[in-house]
Amino acid sequence: MKRRIVLGLALYSVVFSLAGVYVIHTIRTATTELDKLITLHQVEILREHFLLQIRKVQSDLTLMGTPHSRSFDTVFENVMNMGRIIDTCFGCHHSPRGTERLNALKKQTETYKESLSRVMTVRANATRHAAEEDAAFRIGEALIGQVNEMIAFTTSRLGENTRKAMGRIERTKYILYGLVAMGPLVSTVLGFVFILGLTRPVKVLVDSTRKLMGGDLDHRVAGLTDEFGEVAASFNEMAGSLKEQMQKMQRTEQMVVVGELAAGLAHEIKNPMAGIKVAMSVLSGEAYILAEDKAVLQKVVEEITQLEGLMKNFLNFAKPQKPRLEPVNVNQMLNTTLTFHLKHQAVGAGGSGKIEIVKEFGELPTILADPTQLQRVFLNLFLNALHAMPRGGELGVRTCLEADGKTIRIGVSDTGNGIREDLIDKVFQPFFTTKPKGTGLGLAISRQMIEQHDGAIDVANRPGGGALFTILLPVKAEGAAA
Amino acid sequence: MRKRWIVSILAALCLPFLAACSPKDPPPPAKKPSVEKLLIGLIPEQNLFKQMERYEPLAEYLFRKTGAKVSLKILPRYGNIIENFRSSGLDGAFFGSFTYALARAKVGVEVLARPVALDNTSTYHGLIFVRKDRGIRTARDMKGKRFAFVDKATTAGYLLPLDYFRDHGIPDHNDYLKEAYFTGTHEDAVFDVLNGKADIGAAKNTVFQRLANADPRIMKELIVLERSPDVPENAIALRKDIDVSLRNRLKESLLTMHLDPDGKRVLERFGALRFIETTDEDYAVVVKFAEHNRLNLATYDYKND
Repeated sequence: MKRRIVLGLALYSVVFSLAGVYVIHTIRTATTELDKLITLHQVEILREHFLLQIRKVQSDLTLMGTPHSRSFDTVFENVMNMGRIIDTCFGCHHSPRGTERLNALKKQTETYKESLSRVMTVRANATRHAAEEDAAFRIGEALIGQVNEMIAFTTSRLGENTRKAMGRIERTKYILYGLVAMGPLVSTVLGFVFILGLTRPVKVLVDSTRKLMGGDLDHRVAGLTDEFGEVAASFNEMAGSLKEQMQKMQRTEQMVVVGELAAGLAHEIKNPMAGIKVAMSVLSGEAYILAEDKAVLQKVVEEITQLEGLMKNFLNFAKPQKPRLEPVNVNQMLNTTLTFHLKHQAVGAGGSGKIEIVKEFGELPTILADPTQLQRVFLNLFLNALHAMPRGGELGVRTCLEADGKTIRIGVSDTGNGIREDLIDKVFQPFFTTKPKGTGLGLAISRQMIEQHDGAIDVANRPGGGALFTILLPVKAEGAAA
Repeated sequence: MRKRWIVSILAALCLPFLAACSPKDPPPPAKKPSVEKLLIGLIPEQNLFKQMERYEPLAEYLFRKTGAKVSLKILPRYGNIIENFRSSGLDGAFFGSFTYALARAKVGVEVLARPVALDNTSTYHGLIFVRKDRGIRTARDMKGKRFAFVDKATTAGYLLPLDYFRDHGIPDHNDYLKEAYFTGTHEDAVFDVLNGKADIGAAKNTVFQRLANADPRIMKELIVLERSPDVPENAIALRKDIDVSLRNRLKESLLTMHLDPDGKRVLERFGALRFIETTDEDYAVVVKFAEHNRLNLATYDYKND
């Protein structure tokens, strides 16, 4: 946006600078035209003045030797003035043809001056004197004719030039009117465009904020660019974070409920159950109890033991134990768990199908973790995988060190049916289960334990079928560091 | 530091106004002295208007250097220069050699300086010339011909022919010639002979040569029959009652102008290398020439008929 504003302002400045330059140029052109016209008229006046001066000198010449003759100084000054006028003409710019005509005029003027000088200086008999005067007069008349011819020619040109110049000045006037009218219009349009460019993204952000306030945590801002795009990205990040925090809060509330329930059960059920269990054990040891009744009593004891396990799970989930960290070789632990699982748990968990275990262990550093909790998590994931493959399949266990060297990745995959997309977000919620006899606490406890290690657990369906659970654990948890 | 700078600048800007507000009134400006003026006459050595144009830059230069306003007055006749000292209040003039000799005798003027021409000469001489095709080679051939003099107050344009005729036993040329008239300028005397308006002419060699440089016909079609002794080139002279300081400044400006770039440019336009000091002794040759022709300078009638 900053760049757009800068570009916009630059464009604005350029447009108005160009308009300003054009206006100045136009005014300058118009004034130049007027200057030219004035100069042309001045030249015309100069020619008329020159003609008058020649006539004055001719008059002086005619009056020479008469009682009305002017003084020598006056005549001399008149001739000098005539010469000065023609010299003034050379101060202006002329076309080559004009210069040629002017040179001819100057030459004729000089000839006239020389002839006049002769008349003024010669002392001879009357005939010679008259001849000199006559010669000078004829040269003067020729000069007058030459100037008249030039005036006639330039007068016609002057009229034409005046018409053309006035036409150009008229056009200039209309262009200026147009610019004066267009200026505010262009300003308004450009201003509107810039304001729209600023207000539209702000409106989108305000609307999105209102939706978020309305509880729509899944709403995201889209379609904004530049700085507003960055604000939108931050907004979206904030919305995602808010949703996550909300979910965590919900889970915490559930934990509180489960904790209270577990505590209640512990107090209300655990002790009677222990009594029943002991009573059943004692009773089954009595000699008068028939063997078939003993089996029933034993069954009751087993059920009670299972109920105790369930209670323990409740308690663990509601009041999780703080992990006791120690160096753990994750690959070794996975191996041990798999071996243990194959020997003692597979029969109960799996169906009739054959399970193939694929292990791809990368080289991992020793991490600080609670081995008991970690093993429980792994076991839980392996059992879920086996449950997902009742007719057999492939259990994949893969580990690697992330590129940053600070996190290890553990993947547990199966080749079962995977998890329905509409349920995949709920698998870590407490009491959510798809198994007929499931408690819905296994994955919830697993995530709780992993998060206590500053790690993360997630699930996704594999493209080829089945689910993939991914655990990320820090090599050195913050809890351990503390 | 920046603040101090601003205060200093403001103080500097306000200083003239503060000074203007001072209760002590400034001393009244000194009365502008009246400008010294000089009216200098010019003889019609050439076309009147060209002559004026030639001397105008020199007058302006002298004004710049001396502070005295130098005005020029062109005169239609050589002899007028003496009349104008009496009637028009001339302060000085550029005199021809003969007019200076006359003016010194009749008016009382003091010569200051004269130019050195581009060929490094500061003198000129008179020439008598004819068209080659007219067959005039001797004084005898001149009988019944038309003679174009310049002016009765010129060495080259009158004194020389007078001397020539006297030496050839012709006491009155007016009776000997068909027509004798005065062109008024050396230039016109040359042109009149060249163009056949006159058969014989007399003029100064410097003008003759300058015209010959511009028009090749002159050397091709004219022939020189006689020349006068060398006399000083036209020199500036002032009235004797002119302020000594002004006279000295004028003389100094002229004598040093070739050392000044501005003066050098003016000299180039004028057609001279420099000005040199000139005294009455330089005119001894003119006086002698006049005496040889039995002319009394104090009583000589210089007016053309």
